[in-house]
Amino acid sequence: MRLYLEVARLSFRRHLAYRAATIAGLFTNSVFGVLIAAVFTALYRDRAGDVAGFSLPEALTFVWASQSLITFAALWGWWEIATAIKTGDVVADLMKPFSFQGYWLSRDLGRAACHFLLRMLPTFLVGGLFYDLALPRSPLTWLAVAPSLVLAVVVSFGWRFVLNLSAFWLLDHRGISSIAVLVVNFFSGFLVPLAFFPPELRAVTNLLPFRAIVMLPIEILLGQRAVAPALGIQLFWAVALALLAQAVLASAVRKVVIQGG
Amino acid sequence: MGRVSELMDELTVCGHLAAARVRSEMQYRLSFALQIVGTFGFYTIYFLSIFILFGHFETMGGWRVGEIAFLFGLAGLSFGIAHMVAGGFASFSDLIVRGEFDRVLLRPVGAILQVIATGVQLRNLGDVLQGMVVLGVALRLVAIDWTLGRLLYFPVVVLSIALLFVSLFALQATLCFWTTEATEVANAFTYGGRDLARYPIHIFDGWLRRLFLFVIPVGLVVYAPSLYLLDKTDPLDLPTWTRFVAPVAGLAFALLAGAAWRLGVRHYRSTGT
Repeated sequence: MRLYLEVARLSFRRHLAYRAATIAGLFTNSVFGVLIAAVFTALYRDRAGDVAGFSLPEALTFVWASQSLITFAALWGWWEIATAIKTGDVVADLMKPFSFQGYWLSRDLGRAACHFLLRMLPTFLVGGLFYDLALPRSPLTWLAVAPSLVLAVVVSFGWRFVLNLSAFWLLDHRGISSIAVLVVNFFSGFLVPLAFFPPELRAVTNLLPFRAIVMLPIEILLGQRAVAPALGIQLFWAVALALLAQAVLASAVRKVVIQGG
Repeated sequence: MGRVSELMDELTVCGHLAAARVRSEMQYRLSFALQIVGTFGFYTIYFLSIFILFGHFETMGGWRVGEIAFLFGLAGLSFGIAHMVAGGFASFSDLIVRGEFDRVLLRPVGAILQVIATGVQLRNLGDVLQGMVVLGVALRLVAIDWTLGRLLYFPVVVLSIALLFVSLFALQATLCFWTTEATEVANAFTYGGRDLARYPIHIFDGWLRRLFLFVIPVGLVVYAPSLYLLDKTDPLDLPTWTRFVAPVAGLAFALLAGAAWRLGVRHYRSTGT
């Protein structure tokens, strides 16, 4: 356990080093936040009242929360393992006496902790400063958001881990990556809150893990969903994807052995 | 005559470079096919999202779904062309970081042509196709009165938008001559400009709107001509002639970007790696 904490700590510190990229990223996330906020504002101006259970302040909260999640939950991909597979460096990691999956999960949690401070909080603060957001009054809600965010990262990691392992078979990850981005963008509720989806499409998203990464944490924040069942769904997907990842890893390792590394 | 044959030589060399680039792109067949599907799908889900939103709203700033779809298609098609051509500018920081720009300067062919030729991204054909499909959908939803003027102006508008975005990518690349760390800032203008182009610009607040109308003239190449093409009234009350300055705006911005690029090349000192 101490080893994994140390791995997470080092990963946290490593990501702390990118100062210029942090400021650039905050700027970019904010510009897109302003842009999408304007789209929702224009829509609500033409039709007063709540829509699909969202008031305008709630829709704006969704906009800024989803922008904040991009880097924190690595929505648009992360290909460190795939790169290590392509270069062959992965073999050294596989031989080390620790859980390969646990090692990378620790690294990713360290990364996410750093991005929480450097990217997520500042982006959301920009939104809170310039827009009228629907923020929870009860401290209990804020408290419920914390485990939901951790689970969002774990689910996202499970999904990214499996995708990265595909490099064992495909070598080049760019194709998979471009498909993965659009699947996550759409089915997680990042582009449009899932409550706006027509019922048939909504039913599909309920069967997929992606809402656990974006929509569920935001629905908890907005108080639109009972906390315990929402966390339960996230936990379910965290475990399910971890098990899937384990199975895929096992068959990938067999392949490496056959190839002779 | 000498200059003409020199230019022909340059273009032949660049043709070879571009062909090599496309071959390398298609090296991993499955991956390449997935990337085309991916870029096509990427814009499709954005478009789908708009349809989902319009399931709950009638209009956006007074524009109906078909009119918004027209903007999506027009911006998508034109940006797709730009993205395909200007891939070399978009990933220019890699060239600088790896010190490969030195090699570009050593070859007896213009640097801009080389960067374009070696960066052609065929996989962005996905965006172009998607833009056309969305335009097709839009044209079924809105009836455009295709007068001769509109028919002739439409391709000019497409090329003006593409030129503007190629220039924006070139400016992003130019930034790399000074710093390779903060290129993500430029994404706010390139990809941000693309996203903004998909909506009627009057829905944006003062500073953002002015920035994208008068500094980076996205509004002048997409929104203003669309007012003419769709025959819409303009809540901003821009003068009527602004609807016809798209090519001027595109060319002026391209000249500006070219000047900045030359300044950057002169400023460039190799990293020595």
